[in-house]
Amino acid sequence: MMKKIKVGVISFEHMHAVSYTSSLIKIPDMELAGIADGDVPRGREMAARFNTTYYKDYRELLKTDIDGVIVCTCNLLHEPVVVDAANAGKHILVEKPFAISYKGAQAMLEACRVNNVKVMTAFPLRFNQAVINAKKSVDNGEIGKILCITGINHGKIPSGWFLDKTLAGGGAVMDHTVHVADLMRWFTGSEAETVYAESGNLIHNSGIDDCGILCIDFENGVFGTIDTSWAHHKNYTIWPEVYMEIIGTEGVIEVDAFRQNQRVFAENGIQDEVWGSSGDEGLVREFAEVLRSGRAPLVTGVDGSRAMEIALAAYKSSESHKAEKVIHISY
Amino acid sequence: MINIAILGAGTMGRVHGNSYLNVENARVAAVFDFDEAKARRVAAVHNAKVYADFDEMIKNEVIDVVDICLPTYLHKEFALGAMQMKKHVFCEKPIALSIHDANEMAGEAEKQKVKFSVGHVVRYFPAYSRAAQMISEGRIGVPKLIRTTRTGAYPSFCWDDWYSDRSLSGGTLLDLVIHDFDWIRYNFGDIERVYAKRASGGDSKKLDHCLVVLRLRNGAIAHVEGSWAYPRGSAFGTTFEVIGTKGQIEFSSRDSVPVKKHILQDNSAQIVPDSPLFSNEEPYTAELQDFINSIVENREPNISAEHAVKALAISLAAMESAKTGKAVTLGGRA
Repeated sequence: MMKKIKVGVISFEHMHAVSYTSSLIKIPDMELAGIADGDVPRGREMAARFNTTYYKDYRELLKTDIDGVIVCTCNLLHEPVVVDAANAGKHILVEKPFAISYKGAQAMLEACRVNNVKVMTAFPLRFNQAVINAKKSVDNGEIGKILCITGINHGKIPSGWFLDKTLAGGGAVMDHTVHVADLMRWFTGSEAETVYAESGNLIHNSGIDDCGILCIDFENGVFGTIDTSWAHHKNYTIWPEVYMEIIGTEGVIEVDAFRQNQRVFAENGIQDEVWGSSGDEGLVREFAEVLRSGRAPLVTGVDGSRAMEIALAAYKSSESHKAEKVIHISY
Repeated sequence: MINIAILGAGTMGRVHGNSYLNVENARVAAVFDFDEAKARRVAAVHNAKVYADFDEMIKNEVIDVVDICLPTYLHKEFALGAMQMKKHVFCEKPIALSIHDANEMAGEAEKQKVKFSVGHVVRYFPAYSRAAQMISEGRIGVPKLIRTTRTGAYPSFCWDDWYSDRSLSGGTLLDLVIHDFDWIRYNFGDIERVYAKRASGGDSKKLDHCLVVLRLRNGAIAHVEGSWAYPRGSAFGTTFEVIGTKGQIEFSSRDSVPVKKHILQDNSAQIVPDSPLFSNEEPYTAELQDFINSIVENREPNISAEHAVKALAISLAAMESAKTGKAVTLGGRA
């Protein structure tokens, strides 16, 4: 009989936990060994849905013989939960943003290093097939050398803790900078040097930044902008929009990660349903492979920290109206 | 009938010439170009006189309006010359290369009591004017996030390759996205702050791509993109997206194509897009008709010199920001 690798899921506060867990249980040698959630009704519901053991306290789940955990708490709790998981010797896949402060990210990376556990940040776009093919084309030199990138990550405004600065660490700029910032780092192979940003609570009157435009200078001379806005109205036909226009010396590549969709007209409105790969399954398969083989993950905690650092610099720039230096924590 | 002299028989001279065929109360009487053969091609449609000498043309012909379709660096000289001869002046955008020059032109028009307008034609593109109208009627609430793009290949058709010399054309930040700067400022409010980047490389001076972040005085933010970085032969296209407190509007010219011709060219199938308009909806015709009407009705043209100066100020601020790496505060001066 195949040896099963045991994985726990800590919290469904972030709704991506449903997609990650669904992806996990499809993998033959992975076993969903338990779900921990401080919210009892939600935790019980999810444990029943995925037919697994429920724990109210995640520390009880960490005491079991699981190999890894997927952490989908609110952003504020990434730090204590990841540190505890690392100290318990569990490998970790943590939702983005990796952390909400330099100190938090540092503590998390340090705990993982000391305990020799692998940590991945949930950047599913790295496993989106459209993005992967665009990256291959760039690497093959099809557009020459990259000069600049226009990035957009628009979406609708989320609800609940996402709108609480203490729990989320920020609004749209914190939530949406990190995906495209990570892709830009990946595509350019370079780190962000400075960030200029304009942002604010402009559209939804929800007390937290819902619009943001960043302009990032990378160390290798490439620059890029990211529109991080929770700008789409409730009747917009699609939730995620992730777009990059990559300008090269010899050509241009546009990649629209969720463009593989079809338009559905139903009684409850018009919806563009995505039939292409979101990247979530690929992300979880990568985590499974890391657990299986012990090799380094393709996207790490450091990648998560580097993207967070860009968001933090953007908030500073929004206040100062200057291009702010990006502070890279050491680990 | 108002008599027009077109200066410059390049791409824009030809476009204006064709538009005048549908402009009421106007006829093209003369066409000037340093290259007489080019002038002749534009003049032929109108049975107009051809000149390679501006002074001679002004002396010999009865001209009411001088329509300047020359490269930007020649605008001031010819505008001042025409105004001093009491001619109304319509000038292609951008108005000039500096605020000083632009103010001099605006001041001369006032002094000579002639009409003066600048070709910020995007206001007359039906998709843009319709969106602006809906927004002013409150259809999407208060506009807060604006994105525009204007992208394509380097305009290789230009005379003497003057676009590639940024000291003469200003590149994409001045020549291209000034259209969007005008549309945004005119419709959605004056600009507080500008931060801009530009890329060049590859095909030497020709490749030029700009990304601009604007903060409006009313708090809205905007992202403006312009490109001469697409490969040779790429279709030119524009987009806009305006997101307000109650809704949003999106437009893409490349997706707004009612006629697609799939035809053989050089033994290989090509898709030739066509987005036709009635002649009076054609943007250049509408723009020039308003200018002619402003003369007939003795009123200010819709696109005033002041508007053109403000649009120029945004472009110049963007050029400064791209050079220094710092945000430039206009403080609503434009």
